[in-house]
Amino acid sequence: MNPRSIRFRLVVWYAGLLTAIFALLGALMYARLKGFLEENIVEAQSRRARQIAETLLVNVKQIGEPYVVREVQSVYAPELSGRFIRITRVDGTEMYRSGPPNDQSFDPAEVEAAVPSTRREFARKQTLPDGHALLIATFRAVANGGPPYVVEVGAPTGPVEAVLNRLLLLLGIGLPLVVVVATGGGYFLIGRALRPVDRIAGKAEMITQHNLSERLPVVHTGDELERLSVSLNRMITHLDDAFQTSKRFVADASHELRTPLTILRGELEHLVEESSLAPEQRDRLGSLLEEVERLSKIVERLFALSRLDAGEAQNEWMPFDLTALAAETADQIALLAEDKKIAVSCDATAPVPVEGDRARLKQVVVNLLDNAIKYTADGGAVHLQTSIANGQAVLEVTDTGIGIPPEAVAHVFDRFFRVDPTRSNETGGAGLGLAIVKSICSAHGGTVEAESAVGRGSRFRVKLPIAKPNPDRIHHA
Amino acid sequence: MRILLVEDDKKLADMIARGIKAERFALDVALDGDSGWEMASACNYDLLILDLLLPGLSGTEVMQRVRRQNQELPILILTARDATEDKVRNFEAGADDYLTKPFAFAELLVRIKALLRRGPVIRDSVLRVGDLEVQRLSQQVRRDGKRIDLTAKEYALLEYLACSPGRVFSRTMIIEHVWDQSFEGLTNIVDVHIRHLRSKLDDPFPKKLIHTVRGVGYSLSDED
Repeated sequence: MNPRSIRFRLVVWYAGLLTAIFALLGALMYARLKGFLEENIVEAQSRRARQIAETLLVNVKQIGEPYVVREVQSVYAPELSGRFIRITRVDGTEMYRSGPPNDQSFDPAEVEAAVPSTRREFARKQTLPDGHALLIATFRAVANGGPPYVVEVGAPTGPVEAVLNRLLLLLGIGLPLVVVVATGGGYFLIGRALRPVDRIAGKAEMITQHNLSERLPVVHTGDELERLSVSLNRMITHLDDAFQTSKRFVADASHELRTPLTILRGELEHLVEESSLAPEQRDRLGSLLEEVERLSKIVERLFALSRLDAGEAQNEWMPFDLTALAAETADQIALLAEDKKIAVSCDATAPVPVEGDRARLKQVVVNLLDNAIKYTADGGAVHLQTSIANGQAVLEVTDTGIGIPPEAVAHVFDRFFRVDPTRSNETGGAGLGLAIVKSICSAHGGTVEAESAVGRGSRFRVKLPIAKPNPDRIHHA
Repeated sequence: MRILLVEDDKKLADMIARGIKAERFALDVALDGDSGWEMASACNYDLLILDLLLPGLSGTEVMQRVRRQNQELPILILTARDATEDKVRNFEAGADDYLTKPFAFAELLVRIKALLRRGPVIRDSVLRVGDLEVQRLSQQVRRDGKRIDLTAKEYALLEYLACSPGRVFSRTMIIEHVWDQSFEGLTNIVDVHIRHLRSKLDDPFPKKLIHTVRGVGYSLSDED
């Protein structure tokens, strides 16, 4: 799981928010419930305290304290109901105190005396040394023509705590459960919602400048993703148009230059043949002709590239042996290398069957060897090798030449790219040879890559699909 | 011998016309497809040189019409397109030869002469240029009576040049004749072979027979 994916981040946010909201709700609920329950208890106790004060203590003079004690004991039966009742005289002595409750949940003797207050009625919470707590309502009773009494009626908080603990337990189990279920559901739903994004991304990765006519899948959901795929498609259309325009331009330009070049060349050739020319003039015309030749070559290469771009490599598609082609080309080129005393060795023995346009693939080998010889100093070596590796036909050209700086290696296959622009006139090319190599390789479903160390040499490796032995397949592709 | 050139570019047509007339051929020029077709159908030409991209009737249409009327007339296509499938399509439509612009004028001439079955095709079994003697049957080469040993390629190259003494051949023409195919980057092989040939043929003698015409190519002649 990618921690930076939208899906992961959304789910984490979602789970975090959900947990926070539930925790807050739980805390609020707990506090409100606790307050409510305690209030209820206090109210019930203070009602009893008032009852004791207003029905019994008010007439204490007439009925006498022992009667009050008996009445309280019989009416309220504090030990039975687990309550605490205490009536204190104004001098602080107790008139009555209930005994320990039947369940022994607290000891009434340990309950501290009520703090004297100016208020007639108030409540307090008293925690006993054994950890139990009582909620005690206090009421100051005024007897007719006698001293006041303080009536305290209390109840243990045990039942409240039991309810609250139950709630805590419920929240403690329920909350994580809800968060887990909701998060899982969210993860699933987000995944479902984002699946079209995966599909769009997968397709978009497959679109290169060679298949710009293809489009992304459009999900007709009416949502943001549909909009995204539609606008991406529109962008691809614009790119496609731009590419087409530039390809058409190159094709048209290289086409339109041919006729003027023919005229130039023809006229210059006619001039050269005129015998009245001085040697110096003849030489200048020769120089012009050489430049026309160079221009023609550039036009030729641009034209070849534009044809390859248009996917027109499949004309003379046939199966052939790459090793034989390599050996034959190495043989022809060895003659050119002789001048520079460069040894061209060829390690091409086992047949390597490939399919394609033999003439164009020969151009690949020629260009690579030509380049290797061009950039290798006198007395160096150029090595050509063919093999089958990982189910692919491999052709390698290695030289001991000047090499390519690391920052330039990635660009050597770009059109008109030169490692050293100042060398353009010496070597005579236009920086199109390797671009043609790359285009031809791509047109054959293959690749070409370069590796190099400055001062030690370069290696160019062409990989092509190996030809299937099945003769039925030969003319497809 | 009468040749019809159908080419819409006036300057190119003029250039070709001048060169061809210098070789003493009669030449008519049509500047568009319609007049080209009219002229081709009206007169008996010995050769039709046809550009493919023409205003009016296209070159391919002209060729098809001419073919329906005349199966014999040799047709040489001049075009700015060089994709193989074009070549195949045009050969199927009845073209006899095919030349891609920009071409060397010498190449055009060689092809014209080949199509007219005259000119450089010398059927003599012995070719002589100055004191050089090339025996075509035994493939033996002598200069000033001395035997010179050549490799097969050197011999083929020498024989090609010796068939038309004084004519300048471009590297492309030489490589296509001697090696059957031309590859950019390989045309320099011609220079290497010429150098080898010179060292055997010219270096031992004061008079040089192989001449370099800068920017154009090579020729063999005993004139300076």
